[in-house]
Amino acid sequence: MSGSGIPPDWQDDPDLAAGEYVLGTLSPDERAAFAEALEARADLRSAVAAWEARLAPLAATIPAVAPDPALWTAIAARIRPAAGAAVAADAVPAHPVAAGDRIVRLERRVRRWRMTAATAAALAAGLALWIAAGGTAALREPPHYLAVVDRGGTLPALIVRVDLRAGVVQVRSLAAETPPERSLELWYIDAGAAPQSLGLVPGETARLPIPAALRTRTETATFAVTVEPKGGAPDGKPTGPAIYSGRLIRD
Amino acid sequence: MVWLGRPAHRQNGAVWGDEALGSAQREADLARLIEGVARGERAALQALYDATAPKLLGIILRILKDRAAAEDTLQEVFVRIWQRSGSYDPLAGAPLPWLIAIARHRAIDRLRQDRSARLTQAEDGWFERLADTSDGEADLARRDALAQCLDQVAMPQRDCLVLAYCEGWSREELATRFDRPVNTIKTWLRRGLLSLRTCLETP
Repeated sequence: MSGSGIPPDWQDDPDLAAGEYVLGTLSPDERAAFAEALEARADLRSAVAAWEARLAPLAATIPAVAPDPALWTAIAARIRPAAGAAVAADAVPAHPVAAGDRIVRLERRVRRWRMTAATAAALAAGLALWIAAGGTAALREPPHYLAVVDRGGTLPALIVRVDLRAGVVQVRSLAAETPPERSLELWYIDAGAAPQSLGLVPGETARLPIPAALRTRTETATFAVTVEPKGGAPDGKPTGPAIYSGRLIRD
Repeated sequence: MVWLGRPAHRQNGAVWGDEALGSAQREADLARLIEGVARGERAALQALYDATAPKLLGIILRILKDRAAAEDTLQEVFVRIWQRSGSYDPLAGAPLPWLIAIARHRAIDRLRQDRSARLTQAEDGWFERLADTSDGEADLARRDALAQCLDQVAMPQRDCLVLAYCEGWSREELATRFDRPVNTIKTWLRRGLLSLRTCLETP
């Protein structure tokens, strides 16, 4: 009854716990524990969604308030982060991103990840993935990289460099804990075309060539990392959840 | 006292009106925008922002009371939508409740982080607004059902539900207001939810 340890209420009536979660009246401990349980339990997620739908008309009656016009500008700046600022925003270790680089954030596709690869949820939760690909030819430092950075000690991290001029993606895995019996595979998806595999994300450093035919269209292409059966997608087509995807954006 | 009659005046004074949300067509539009956001389309996020930010800000402001904190939270909400739009499943529910849920959770998380005492001033008028069908296109069937069923929830419980949902009141704040132990409030909330669920699911 009193709230220490795992809330026993869920066993009695998870649906009412879900209702209280939606109301926002769970104690901070219960709320955090419930949110964590949501990650793993589809039944709780659908119970929460049902309460959200039931109660939403009440919220929808609240009169609208026009935001300050500057607010969108602030949001726009955050979703297309400037070099450096982007890194800080997610508390990712600051890599020196050269001015003029192109940056892309590879978004996590959390939902599909959750549904199909629950065992590896920690992997998705712990990663943030960034691409910085060199733009101008004059840059002296290695101008291209994509990094996957971990936030926890046991979670895997990748550093990936994308060299568009040489047409090479270099993947380096740090402390990688690929889900058991799974492989991570890197894909290149041209607009409107089927995904093309660039290869498996290896346990150690590897260079994956970007096919020459694709190099000129990298501006419009999407890169993605999916979870595949051990050894990679059997038919050359992605079968698992895309845990990251993103495209190059000219800065 | 709850009054479910139709108010004499319309509540809808915002530049951006309620009619922009709620209908099936609008829901489909919102769902399409969220899909666009999931594909990384910034224009889709901006369109989604234009369509929903005022409504979401109203909801957040009702919970946080502080304009600057509310706008800050709204910013977090849209950054989160940008990052999490892939988690929206159209089969699992309509887009507006999904957006409202993100906004409310962010607002409540922020509220609970701020340990300082806040003014918990109840505001009346929820039921009148809920029962006000004059603003047209909002999802009238759901609204009507919720109004009817809330009306059947016994009184202190109903107030607890509405104050918690709309204004972000915690169990402790409700306990203070109603001068009851926190556990009693918890019981009221659960009874209220149960009553609401039973009513809404009865054809």
